Amino acid sequence: MALLQISEPGKSTMPHQHRRVVGIDLGTTNSLVASVISGSPTILKQIDGSNLLPSVVHYSKDKILVGKDAKNHLGKDAENTISSVKRLIGKTINDVNKDHFPLNLADGDGVINIKTSMGIKNPIEVSAEILKTLKIVAENKLCGELMGSVVTVPAYFDDAQRQATKDACTLAGLNVLRLINEPTAAAVAYGLDKKPRGCFVVFDLGGGTFDVSILNLSKGLFEVLATHGDANLGGDDFDQAIVNFLNDKYKLNITDIEIQSIVSILAREIKESLSIKKEVEVLKKISGIEIKETFTQEQFKILVKGLINQTLKATKSALHDAKLNNEQIDGVIMVGGSTRMPCIQEAVKNLFKQELHNDLNPDEVVALGAATQANILAGNGQEDLLLLDVTPLSLGIETIGSIVERIIPRNTTLPVAMAQEFTTYKDGQTAMIIHVVQGERELVDDCRSLAKFTLKKIPPMVAGAAKIKVTFHVDTDGLLSVSAEETTTNARATIEVKPSYGLSEDKIKAMLQSSYDLAEEDKASRALAETKVEANQLIELTQKALDTDKDLLSESELTSIKNDLSELIDSLKSSNNDKIKEATKKLNLQSESFAAKRMDRSIQKALTGKSINKLEF
Amino acid sequence: MTQNYFELFNLPEKFQINLEKLQENYRTIQKEIHPDRFAMATESEKIQSMIKSTQINDAYQALKSPIKRAKYILSLHKSLKKIPLPPDFLMQQMEWEEHLDTISENKNELNKFKFIINKEYEQYSLLLETQIDINQDWDEAAITIDKLHFVEKLLNKINISLN
Repeated sequence: MALLQISEPGKSTMPHQHRRVVGIDLGTTNSLVASVISGSPTILKQIDGSNLLPSVVHYSKDKILVGKDAKNHLGKDAENTISSVKRLIGKTINDVNKDHFPLNLADGDGVINIKTSMGIKNPIEVSAEILKTLKIVAENKLCGELMGSVVTVPAYFDDAQRQATKDACTLAGLNVLRLINEPTAAAVAYGLDKKPRGCFVVFDLGGGTFDVSILNLSKGLFEVLATHGDANLGGDDFDQAIVNFLNDKYKLNITDIEIQSIVSILAREIKESLSIKKEVEVLKKISGIEIKETFTQEQFKILVKGLINQTLKATKSALHDAKLNNEQIDGVIMVGGSTRMPCIQEAVKNLFKQELHNDLNPDEVVALGAATQANILAGNGQEDLLLLDVTPLSLGIETIGSIVERIIPRNTTLPVAMAQEFTTYKDGQTAMIIHVVQGERELVDDCRSLAKFTLKKIPPMVAGAAKIKVTFHVDTDGLLSVSAEETTTNARATIEVKPSYGLSEDKIKAMLQSSYDLAEEDKASRALAETKVEANQLIELTQKALDTDKDLLSESELTSIKNDLSELIDSLKSSNNDKIKEATKKLNLQSESFAAKRMDRSIQKALTGKSINKLEF
Repeated sequence: MTQNYFELFNLPEKFQINLEKLQENYRTIQKEIHPDRFAMATESEKIQSMIKSTQINDAYQALKSPIKRAKYILSLHKSLKKIPLPPDFLMQQMEWEEHLDTISENKNELNKFKFIINKEYEQYSLLLETQIDINQDWDEAAITIDKLHFVEKLLNKINISLN
């Protein structure tokens, strides 16, 4: 959905001069929005003046609260106060430990249903509430509607979690220019300041997720070599270690949502105090039980030793995948609020035997990097910077015996397309189930199931004669699409699917309809205006392209494009939305090979400085 | 993509290539055509940049790895027939595998073994260079590729044991 841009009165109305874009860090504990203002990435402050919006949503019968106001309900009305929703997004009920959430969770046909006073909500809707709040803040600060946003996700998020995050953005009315990985965004924030070269580790321990990425930084290029992590490991788990300790020692009722919610808050306070103090004393009464305890950093370190080791193990795996050892690392960047814990800093320092980069606020660095990237994508900045990221997890399909056949290995640079041929198991088999999975294990049951679809109308042949080519494509958002076709016969059976989770496109559309209470004619005029903006941009860009590169076209190609161009210009004189859309589509299609040729020319120019021989794909 | 990968990266069609040049040209091309460069472009440009960027990644992977590069060169000469490995190499394979089993806990021995296998890897790479770049003996090269492939996998196993 393209958004309309409104220029300041008296200023140029050219649509490409400066685009209003933001970077959003949708965090487990806190969320932030940032934008490049006067050349530097800046956090946009919330209404209360703080940089962070607590990622908490409270539902009462007729009111939704987000952020600090919602957080105040955590101890009082835990069931209706949703925090750490990022740990639920893109998951099914079987993926989560219900005991860790003081909420009423149930299976909701692919998504997790959360029962609240306002009715059933799912993690996508809850996340959308947080995003909507950020959007409003940004639009107020930037004085106008947003054209687009770059939203960050943990590098180790699987396809389902990425798609669900993107759905939440759509639901919140945000146009997503790109999903980018949090550690990569952090590296952007650091890299621009210092312009280093070499191999860097980004160690990102947030509230609920852990990522470690190894990047090669060279002039203007951020190349991710490997990424590893745990989408289920973060500050929350360190809290939980204290919670478990207290539950055990003081025999607290672990089934009482209210008590557990109070213990959780207490545990977090203890953890945070221990990041600045050597020891902390606790004296508190929880439902009649007196808690009296002195925690030291050393004690805490023992409680969370297993968690620390998990992060180190993932870091070593990432190094191994990047074919590097710890001595070849030029710098270590610490990101995420949980890296404030002294025990984490010590462990990472010991592993790499060097000082850590933590001079940027670990809570803010991801949003700042995302804002920079948004600015670059929008064409606002002059920065010469490109991110090349990778797939965090291998992608494959199920074969006989529930064995996974990998099609795209982990740590492959995006965008990527890979294909593999499969064949039939039985004589005369005419259909085949294609079960797409993600993960590193050999058996299907140990991997994440992404989608199942059936390829039908395979011509009957003897077993093993049919050739079914399955192609996986992962785009620059890290999102997968799959297609399959039978290639031995002319009668091709093809299927193309995008795995979708929980919410269908129709359902999102329906939700959008209900959230925008626009009158029918408003909708129509808005749609027309959007179409016109798009058409005008296309006209302008096509004319520019023709000015510089029309020599790449044959006489007839040039005529066709010119015809479609004038058809589009004519169509704009009408106010017929469909007609303009149709003409836009036609010109776009007509220009595809022209676009390809222009890209080949730019490659040639970049490689040789001048055009010698023609390159063809 | 019908274009030759070597031409694409402006490199001579050889097994022995300048890997730094390959990387440099790969980066130069991605900087030109990556979809992030076309986030505000027309629909047709977005599609083309996605296609091309994907193809460039594919071509880069094919040339970066020695084994994939050798296979690619052979495929250009339409000589990808399966030739069985000679019996003496099969024997050697078994000996190596058994040796790795017996020393898998011994770091010292593993490092020694890694040194030996690394040497084998280098030798087969050099042999491949002669077979492809000088003799253009595709059949012999095909056998060496299989051997190199085995040695590479063995090296991986040794590294896993070492970690």
